[in-house]
Amino acid sequence: MNSTVFRLFGSGAILFFMLASVATLEFYGHIFEKGIGYYLKWQNPKRRQLGRAWETEHENTLAQRQVQSLLTSLNTKERNSESIDTLKTLVGTLNPSNLVSRKKFLQLYFDYPGQWARRIIDPWELLKIDSNKDWDRVLLSRSGQWITLSFIDPQNHPIHEVFLRLDILYEVQSTRTIQRGFLEEANFEEKRIFSIEDFLPLLQTLDPATQNNLFPDPKWFLQKDYHVTRVGIASESLPDRPEIALFGIEYKTDYYTNVLLIPVPLETSNNILSQIEQAVSDEFDDLYNQAGAS
Amino acid sequence: MILRFFEKILFALYALILLLAFSLAGVYFGLSGELPQLPQRLENINLSLPTEIYSNDGELLKVFGERLPVPLEKVSPFFLKAVVAVEDAHFYEHQGVDHKALVRALISNFKAKRIAQGGSTITQQLAKNLFFSFERKWVRKFKEILIALQMEASFSKDQILEAYCNQIYFGNGAYGVEEASHVYFGKSAEELSALQAALLAGLPNSPNNANPFTNYERAMARAGFVLDRMVKERMIGAAQKEEALSSSLELASPVEVNNPHQYFVNFVLDDLEKTYGKEFVYFGGLKIFTTLDARLQTEAQKAARSHLEGLDKRMGERSKSEPLQVALVSMENKTGAIRVLLGGRNYSHSQFNRAVSNNRMPGSSFKPFVYFTAMEKLGYSPASMVRDEPITMEIRGTQPWEPKNFEEDYAGDLILKKALMKSINVVSAKLIQQVGPEEVVKTARKFGVKSPLGAHMSLALGTSGASPLEMASAYGVIARLGMYVEPYLIQKIENFNGRVIYEHFYRSETRFPAKSIYPLLDMMQGVVDGGTGRTVRRMGFKHPAAGKTGTTNNFKDAWFTGFTRDYSTSVWVGYDSNEPMVDPKGRGLTGSGAAAPIWVFFMKKALENKSLVKFTVPDGVRIVQVNPTTGYLLEEGSSEPGMFVAVKDETVLTLPPLPSPPPALSSSQALSTLQQPEKTNDVPNF
Repeated sequence: MNSTVFRLFGSGAILFFMLASVATLEFYGHIFEKGIGYYLKWQNPKRRQLGRAWETEHENTLAQRQVQSLLTSLNTKERNSESIDTLKTLVGTLNPSNLVSRKKFLQLYFDYPGQWARRIIDPWELLKIDSNKDWDRVLLSRSGQWITLSFIDPQNHPIHEVFLRLDILYEVQSTRTIQRGFLEEANFEEKRIFSIEDFLPLLQTLDPATQNNLFPDPKWFLQKDYHVTRVGIASESLPDRPEIALFGIEYKTDYYTNVLLIPVPLETSNNILSQIEQAVSDEFDDLYNQAGAS
Repeated sequence: MILRFFEKILFALYALILLLAFSLAGVYFGLSGELPQLPQRLENINLSLPTEIYSNDGELLKVFGERLPVPLEKVSPFFLKAVVAVEDAHFYEHQGVDHKALVRALISNFKAKRIAQGGSTITQQLAKNLFFSFERKWVRKFKEILIALQMEASFSKDQILEAYCNQIYFGNGAYGVEEASHVYFGKSAEELSALQAALLAGLPNSPNNANPFTNYERAMARAGFVLDRMVKERMIGAAQKEEALSSSLELASPVEVNNPHQYFVNFVLDDLEKTYGKEFVYFGGLKIFTTLDARLQTEAQKAARSHLEGLDKRMGERSKSEPLQVALVSMENKTGAIRVLLGGRNYSHSQFNRAVSNNRMPGSSFKPFVYFTAMEKLGYSPASMVRDEPITMEIRGTQPWEPKNFEEDYAGDLILKKALMKSINVVSAKLIQQVGPEEVVKTARKFGVKSPLGAHMSLALGTSGASPLEMASAYGVIARLGMYVEPYLIQKIENFNGRVIYEHFYRSETRFPAKSIYPLLDMMQGVVDGGTGRTVRRMGFKHPAAGKTGTTNNFKDAWFTGFTRDYSTSVWVGYDSNEPMVDPKGRGLTGSGAAAPIWVFFMKKALENKSLVKFTVPDGVRIVQVNPTTGYLLEEGSSEPGMFVAVKDETVLTLPPLPSPPPALSSSQALSTLQQPEKTNDVPNF
């Protein structure tokens, strides 16, 4: 009996003491709230990001990702445009448009080895467009059978527009290609390859228009430190264009040897070929005669 | 016996404690999957970069997602005291849950058998605001308590209070105390007086009911209650309270809700959302530079309002039940930029954007497309002659159609230009009958009309809905002599640090030869100079202009769409209910009387200080003088009344046969339909 009383009293006392302690700790120290709070804090990383605040956060992240993706795509486009190294590539790769700075356009325009660029727009016209300091960029776009070159101001309003028929693309595609290697690798026959020394006297006898069609301005080679070594003349026409033959100019750069391929009318090519072969043959005869005489 | 009873009590107590512990643990584990994670920091949570929308003239039209978080040091101590006093007096003592308040709320909720009282502490309110819905549910309440406990364990009291002050909603679109201070008092939160602080502190509990702009008395009563609480909690003295109550509130003027740019802004947002998605627009932190000319938009609203007020008076009692509505769109012809887009009379009354809705019929303002199709497909010219007479058209599978003229009178013989100037329905119906409605639909599409168009005869009278935006854009093609330019709203978009992520490039496309369009343009100049749109000239508009009026059946819609070299502008007036606009005397409102004056008021402002610029006559077009009833060429110096028309160079026009007039034709022979002038010598100009 006593032991039961003692056990009950003990249990009761423990319970009372426990409850009193807990109540005191809760009253003065908020032990339950703190306990749950710290437990939840400990568990925090394991929980999911739910609720309005996180939704906003996710939407923010999504939006910023989208902005970033647009920026990346624009940067890529800009880099691609800036890395274009010839006017031919610029006009030939409209898918559906290319945007280049004024500086880049002028660089490509004046860098073109020949007169074709002038057919797009006259340099005097460029001077006029540039006169009011508004010209910022050039937008080249393709729509149906037309290519539009818009010379635009900083607000993207066109100052001047040039409309070119798509045919010009075919023309430019067969116009003045640069190919790495020697004339032989560009399929010029060995007997139709001549040194620049042999060719220049003949070129100088041609009328200025033919000269322009056949050979770029010497400035183009000299300014770039390109050293012209040989020329090649094809006697046969291009497979898809029976009236056109290729004229090749081989030049050395600091690192490579390149060939500039220029389509010329077959008639011009044959004419030059006959003249230069005659000149070389005469020269050979002279040498032979001199050798025989001696 | 007593011992046994005592033993049982003890056991029950232990069991109860255990049961309680297990129940709580069970509930917790049941809910733990739904408890949100807390962020590392509270300062920046729920904040996004604001998206700003600018007009073309640099005005900030709208800002989205702007939050103005401020540290506690930048908030008036009056406000901090007030908010603690009224929302959670024991904030600095509890650990997320206020026992007394919670028990009080529990009892009250048990009595009410629903969650009537929250008993929420500031921490709980913050938890609710950040993570939970506003539904009053026990489960939500329990989760809210758990998160509040975690917040208290993770952040300091000041951090919690600061987050609360910056997150809470104060009504009138203001989130956070700084924005609320600006909205209600036009000052920063740091400068709030005791009364202002008390008023603001009273708002989160009932942001709409205690809104001082709408319920001043209630707001002041609430502020008084907050001040009482502050006194009771010994945060201020009674004298301070009296001083606060006797001070002036200095309430700012409410921001004008009726912002005329709002129609345009919403249209821009819809457009962007369709292209990029909602998140991009509202959370992208963008700077959107639009084409809107804020000055002109305001002028458009002024023009519309002042004219509609006059028309409302004319409508008498009718206007009391329903106001007349308006839409106006103006597009810059050179670029296609939409400079003005007014979707209604008053944005705060109706947000429906009538400027872009194609639910209203354009009536006669659609006729230029019918005339142009006929001229292009059938070789007619503005000098071709036609007879205006009562007709009946047999339509397969339906009742015969008898198109009627506006005033039900018939002009007899006249040339096409004059027919368009007088907007004769019979002529338009004859033309569509000959050319076919499908061809007219094709033409309208080429002009840029994108709304569904019914390929039937009544299209001649503009019975398919089109929006003012479409009409302005389509007329712009005429103003540009056949060049189509897609109308646009956004010039460029930048991200928050100024990098361009979108820019508009002007793109034009020649849809019609200039020499084909100019004759139509000249006919439409005739409408303004001496036709149904002559109100424009009567009102003193001097710029070279062309246009067309439109009035639908029973005066339900009134249109005027017109253009100068600079702008193409379309105006629509009507009732939203599609009721006829007829005054008590039975007179209806027409395009000329209801819409054209608004066009004139607006265009005068738009072209202020601009010189008069004529439309350029393109190559291949000649201007000749003809007899307006026969279409015969008039010789120079002829005393006959003539009319100038623009025709293509290849159009053959002849002098009248001499000496006798042309032989009369039987009605079945000609003139009931049009004929090619080139193909006959008897009647040279049909």
